[in-house]
Parts: sequence; C-alpha cells; structure tokens
Amino acid sequence: MLNYIMRRLGLFISTAFILTLIAYALHYWLNQSHSQPIINGYITYMIQILKGNWGISIIDHQPILAKGLKSLASTLELSIFAFIGALTLAIPLGIIAGIYRNGQIDYLIMSTAIIALALPVFWVAIMMPTVSNIFHLTLPIDGQISPIYEVKNVTGFMLIDSLFTTGTYHFEAFYSRVRHLILPSIVLSLFIFAETIRLTRHSISMVMKSNYINAAYSKGLSTVQILRSHVFKNIYPSIIHDLRSNLSTLFSFAMTVDIVFKSKGSGQWLLTSIHEGDYIVLPTAILIIGGFILLSSILIDILLMLTSPTKRITLYVD
Amino acid sequence: MPLLDIRNLSIDINTSQGKLRIVDKASLAINEGSIHAFIGESGSGKSLIAKVILGIHEDNWIVTADRMYLGTTDLTLLSKSERRKIMGNEISMIFQHPKSYLDPTKKIYYQVKEALTNTSIIERLMHTKKYNKKSATRQRIKELFHRVGIQNDVTIMSSYPHELSEGICQKIMIAMAIGNNPRILIADEPTTAMDAETQAQIFRLLYKLNQLHKMTILLMSNNFASIRDISDHITLIYSGQTVESGTYKQITKNPLHPYTQAMIKTIVAFDEGVEHKSLLYTLPGNLPSSSEIPIGCRLGPRCPIAQKKCVEDPEQVNYKGHLIRCHFIKLEQSKYANTPKYK
Amino acid sequence: MSINDEFDKKQIRTPLHYIFQIFKKKVAAIIAVWIICTFLFIIIFADFIVSHSPSEQNMNALLLPPYWLKGGNTAYLLGTDELGRDNFSRLIMGIQRTLAGALIITAVVSFFGLILGALASSLKNFKASILHHLLDSLLTIPILLTALIFIVIFGSSFQNCLYAIAISLLPQFIRSIFLSIETEMAKPYIVALKIDSMSDLQLVKNVIYPNILEPLVTIINRVFTMAIIEITTLGFLGFGVQTKGTELGAIIANNFEFMYLSPILVLAPGITLFIIIFSFNVVAEGIRHAIIEAEQ
Repeated sequence: MLNYIMRRLGLFISTAFILTLIAYALHYWLNQSHSQPIINGYITYMIQILKGNWGISIIDHQPILAKGLKSLASTLELSIFAFIGALTLAIPLGIIAGIYRNGQIDYLIMSTAIIALALPVFWVAIMMPTVSNIFHLTLPIDGQISPIYEVKNVTGFMLIDSLFTTGTYHFEAFYSRVRHLILPSIVLSLFIFAETIRLTRHSISMVMKSNYINAAYSKGLSTVQILRSHVFKNIYPSIIHDLRSNLSTLFSFAMTVDIVFKSKGSGQWLLTSIHEGDYIVLPTAILIIGGFILLSSILIDILLMLTSPTKRITLYVD
Repeated sequence: MPLLDIRNLSIDINTSQGKLRIVDKASLAINEGSIHAFIGESGSGKSLIAKVILGIHEDNWIVTADRMYLGTTDLTLLSKSERRKIMGNEISMIFQHPKSYLDPTKKIYYQVKEALTNTSIIERLMHTKKYNKKSATRQRIKELFHRVGIQNDVTIMSSYPHELSEGICQKIMIAMAIGNNPRILIADEPTTAMDAETQAQIFRLLYKLNQLHKMTILLMSNNFASIRDISDHITLIYSGQTVESGTYKQITKNPLHPYTQAMIKTIVAFDEGVEHKSLLYTLPGNLPSSSEIPIGCRLGPRCPIAQKKCVEDPEQVNYKGHLIRCHFIKLEQSKYANTPKYK
Repeated sequence: MSINDEFDKKQIRTPLHYIFQIFKKKVAAIIAVWIICTFLFIIIFADFIVSHSPSEQNMNALLLPPYWLKGGNTAYLLGTDELGRDNFSRLIMGIQRTLAGALIITAVVSFFGLILGALASSLKNFKASILHHLLDSLLTIPILLTALIFIVIFGSSFQNCLYAIAISLLPQFIRSIFLSIETEMAKPYIVALKIDSMSDLQLVKNVIYPNILEPLVTIINRVFTMAIIEITTLGFLGFGVQTKGTELGAIIANNFEFMYLSPILVLAPGITLFIIIFSFNVVAEGIRHAIIEAEQ
C-alpha cells in the first residue's frame, strides 16, 4: 500500500515537472527578450515560482498568483455545487436505468441524459436568465456576490468567507453567495448529470450480469437487498474513476459557465487577461489549473485504492 | 415419488435469426436422498436446465414443461419472486468457477452470513440466556466450514475472495449452499478447472454430505468416469435431449442407448491392459453447433446404428424405471427381452 | 417436421452486415441519420440554399420576426438581425462553417489519433513511460485553456481556432484509444496470436481495431461533440471572428444583446446546434447498441 502511495507521489512529481516545462516553454515564448540560455532560464524561473514570485499583472498590478488562486476558488465552489446537485439526482436515475436496462424507463432516462449532454453549455448559460424569468424566479443572473456586501478575503472561497461576515450582515452575505451560485451550477450540472447517468448505468448493467449477483439471487435476496449489499460497493470505484478522468473537460465547461455568468472564476480571469494582452497569465493558469487537477486526480486514486478491495487486487499483480 | 420431477422440459431461445430450440423435451426425476448424476458434453444444455430449475434464466428464453414439481409444489405456477423464496431454502446451487460467484468487495464472513438468512429456532432457544447474535452466527459459520473441510476458519472468514484459491472458494460455496439445509443441492460442474486432488476432495465432500446428512444432490458433469461411481442414478443428455436415464446398475451394466454405450466405451480402464499408444474410442464427429441441430434424434448423424427412421423424434420408453429415447433398442441382447414396455 | 424451422441459418452474415441489420431496426437512430444527411446536404449546397448574402444588410428591415409571426416577411424566413441581415442565410452559412469545421477536426484527430494510439501501444519501457507522463500532464490542462493558449500563439482566426481545438483534443483521443487497445491486448486470444509471432502493429491493425469498434464509436463521437462545442464556445468568446464568414457561436454572441427584442436570434442557432449534437449522439448510441447486441 505504502509502495503504491509512493509510486503515485512519484507520478505526481514527474507529471508536475512536465507541467512546469510546458509552462516554462510558454513563458519563454511570451518573453521575447532572452538574456539567459534555456536551462539557466528554467532554473531561475522555477526558483521564482517556488519563492512565490509568479509575476505581476499588467492590468491592475496585482500579484498573479493570488488572483489566479482566488478565481480558481470561485470556479471550485461552482463545480462542487454543481457536483452535489447533479450526483444526488443522477446516481439514483442511473441505477434505475441500469436495473431496468432496455425498458421504457431506461429509454426515458437515457434520452434525458443524451439531451443534457447535447445542450451546448454556453447557450444554456445565456438562456438561463430567460428560463428563470419564465418560472418567476428572482435569482441573480451574474456576478459572484451582491456588491453591497463587503467580504474580506480570508480563505479565498467566497462561500466560507461570507460566513465570517455574520457579525455585520448575519447570514445575508452567505445567502447572497448561494443565490448567485444556483443558476450557474444548474447549467454546469447538466454535463455532470448526463455523464454520471451514463457511467452509473453502464457499471450497474455490467455488475448485474455478473455471476455473484446471480448467486445472490439464488440465495433468495431481494433486488433492494442486492443493490444495497453487493452492487454499490462494486460500482462506485469505476464511476468515481471515470468521473476523475473527466475532470479537465468539466473544468473547461466550468470556465465557460463562469465567463457567461461573470462570476469572477478562472474562465473570466483568463479571458479578460487575454483580451487585455496580459499573456503572462497563461503559464500561471497551466500551473494552477493543471496542478490542481493533477493533485486531485492523484488524491482520488489513492482514496479509491484505500477504500476499494477490487482496486487493491491490482496491487498483488505488480 | 421423486423429489424433483421434470417432464418434457423444452427451452427455446429467441435470437435475431429466429427461435432456436436448445433443450428439447428433457426429463429428469430425482429421488430423495440420492446422488443423481447428470452427464452430458459441454454445451449440451445441462447448465441451462439448472438455471431454469432455479428460475434465474434470461427473459428471452421460452420455457415449456409438462411437469415441473419440487416435492408437491408446481414450480411452473410460481412467480419469479416466489421462486426466489424457494431457492434459498429448498434448492441450493453451486457452480463452476466458484470465485466469480463471490462478491469481490465483501469479506467471506458477510457473504456466508447473508446465505444463512434464518437461524433455526432450536439454536436460538439454546442461546436464549445469553443470545449474542454475532457470535452465534460466527459459531454457525465455523461449524459449516468444518463440515466442508475448511480448517483455518478465522482467517478465511476475514479474507476477500481474491485472496483464496478456487478449491477453497468452492468449499465456501458448498458451505453456503448447505447452510440452510436445502432439500436439494444442484452442483453444476463443480470441479471444472481444478487440479485432480481438489476435484477428489470436492467429490468426497459431496459424497459424505449425501451419506451423513441424506442430502439430495444433482451432480452435473461432462466427465462420465469421474462421477459415475459416487452416483445412485445417472441421466445422460445429448445436445439438449435426455437420451438415457436409470440407476447406476442399469446404466453401467446394461446401457441401451448407443450414446451411453459409446460413453462407457470411452472410459479407459487401465487395468484391462490397454495396448500402449493404441487408438482410444470416440464417437465420430462433434456435438452439433446450436445453429445446425439435426432434426429428429439429435445423435442421428453420429450414431453407429442410425437408420432412416432416426429423422423422426423417438418416443421415450420405460423399462422398470430405465428410460431410453431411441428407435432401435436391441432388446434381444438385454435382460428386458421379455418385459413389456411402458410409455 | 423440424423444431428449428423458424431458425434461418442463411441470415447469418459478416459481423458488419449483422451490425447494420440490427442498426436498421432502430427507428430513432435512422431518423437521426436522415437529419445528419440533411445537414450534410446543407454543408455542400449552402451557397445555393441561401436567399441572401449573409453579410447583405437591409436598413428597411431591422429585427424582423420570423415569417409566421405578425410583421414577418416571407423574404426573410427567420427574420432579420439588428443590421437587417437575413437570419436564415446566416444560420445556413453558420451550420456550414461550424459543422464542417467539427467534421474536419474529428476526421483529422481520429486519423492521427488512431495511428499515434497504435504506436503508443507498441512502445516499450522508457519511451512508453515518457509518452505516458507527457499525456498525463497534457490531460490535466482543460481543453479550453489549451485552445486559448494555441490561439494566443497562432493568432486569432477561424482556421487557427480549428488547429487549436484539434491539437487540444488529440491527447485525450490518444489516451482513450490507448486504454481500449491495452484492455483488448490483455485478453488471452491476443496472447495466442502473439505467440504465433504476429507483430504488435499488425495485431493492432488487423485484430484489435475491429474488436474495439464499440469504444471507438464512443471516443470518436466524444471528439466530435467536444469539437463542435469548443468551436462554438471560442466563436462565442470572440475568437476566430471573420468579416466574410460566420459561425454559430459567433452568431449567438452577436445576437445575444437583442435576445429580448427578437428571441429567434438566439433560439434558432442554439437549437440548431443542439439538434446537430443530439442527432450525432443518437446515431453513435445506435451504432454502439447494435455492436453490443451483435456481440451477444
């Protein structure tokens, strides 16, 4: 087990190294004046990165690292919200579809999933205000939080920071943040929803075909009992693993959504910086976003290995 | 009266090329307390019949039977959920490749516990004073494991299936199967892909269960030689048709169907002085593929005594419980020469 | 009389034929195929379909509603935009650009991806581990970010958008192909063929690819979906806008402000986009199911 964790950490370090190489290549290309040879340049660049000097934005002369992390936090809040919403709905639906495979319900659920997957994210995002109008929902349609609240930056996560302001605003600021998250997370959750239904259905129908489920039936267990005691433990590793490999696609969509909703996330940060000609954000974004996705993938891998006996089988082989 | 009585069971499978009759009028009668060997080549429909008995067949199978009784209950009249209730308590089954029938994500203890749905009342009364459910279950599992010959029960109970060998897994499957004292145990090729010694252990175990606990066992195999000697009754199936059925003595001493005769001829008896490197006897040809099943008697094209009449389906004849499905039973050679034949 | 009368052996054909036979029975997929054919027709004959030049402005007919609404004009089937340009013609030209772009990207990415995936699976030891680490790190960068980087490098134009998206989709494709090949390679029948001294590349070409049709369909469909979404997203964000042509995402961005005056401006391109992606997904699902059923 320890061996596995060490190897994952090794993978993390080597992949992170390649990421810094890519970032440096971009940095090198963007800086037209090359005073140093490439290798020395890389070393100086890395020293600056490790010291925390990631450069200063030419737009507002703020340190880029702080801005990047803050926007990442905003996108993360959005993604986590969308994840929670989508998973609570999609996993039960996926299970139903998997059990009644090729039945009427299955077709209905799968059609919903395909429709959700086929809706272009940015278009849904711009249609969302109209839709919420139709249902007479008065939800904020852009921004991160209502500008009347002054929230000090403590953790970078607006949702948590707004809880620190309960002294002045009670929970008003927090509610405002939550209300701002609702529409964008609905848009983003469409993709996760569709993907999760597909994955859950697939793994359920694979597991339901297996011999040990047949054996469980011949023990005289009911379908609900079988689901509870045999199916869940066998499907969650593959679902989580596949969702993990979709993280970067998901992040693309999250960036699109926060551009449309102007919610001060990574997407908006990148887009405004590029439009202003502040290209120095690109290597920074590679390091921050790429590094974040890499780190979370490896953590998920290790967690899965710790919790799932089926995953652990592979350890014996090596 | 037999414990499990199946008459003229047919299984059709719907494929996109049309309906396909896989099992054609198979009959099976198992007496209480006996080991019934069910022998046929792989692909001859043994497992399908077992699945139908348990009711775990696929939805696109069309099952028709004149009679399908377990004791006094008619299995054809039961719904799937009612069938499921019967399964755990009255019929248990063990399979080939036992490891795939154990959930890879759960420890053995929980899987065995699950099979033991109802602790018997007597046992509970015995423990009324200090009834500890967990230790009682553990005790019961331990006893079961000892019955099937698993010594290190504590380690096994806390292991995952992938940490155990196929032989141990099969013993666990048997332990789970006999846990609820079923009336009948169906063993579907329980020793495929196991080494000879483990095979012998499993067969000895099944034999002991039958002798000591009067367990009725339906033992399916493709190896006539290996299970012949522990069985009381033998039924042979060829390509979905039951060809001959009778007691051990009837089948081994007086085989009447050409297929049975061929099967017995294929068993090599080394003490009878087989010539070194001599050609072993086999039936010419292969088991027909499911898309090219011959009409009438399915053995027809391979049968040494086939005649024109064999394209018609032969009637099953019954001589004192010895059932044969063939047009040309050579009665003059047999001791039934003067007995009347029943249908 | 034979019991197996109903079973017709002659109906068994080659696997591809068999898959097609099953596919033909799927009504939804067949309808989707016809919709796709219509779109292909539009791509090829777009210049003959349009009634107006997409950049032709009519100052007398600004923001007209579609012809079936009050105030509509049959000369402008879907009405006009804020500069008096014909929505229908712009939509048709937009479909041509977007869909053709996505199809070209899919074709190019599939072509190079299949070759590189096969090469990747035949690499051993050190080279393989370098390649995998490189892919791993490329895969952690979101496609949108990669595309933005390449646009910054190449400069903003529609063509460069296509290059950028193709390059950013390639690592994903190679990785998925590689994984499918790897799972298939581990199967015993492949080992048997390897013992018969078949080379890795021969194996991949002749044995593996025919056997991984089902994941292949899913992967290619995924590339197409991502390509069309990214093209329109980049267009929507204002990259790759050109004066002479137009693109569905750019049309939506352009008409966005006038959505409340004339909803058709945003609805029409959005729904068209949805129908395109949806019908491709339905066809892909249909093929996948046909393959799965055929295997059973």
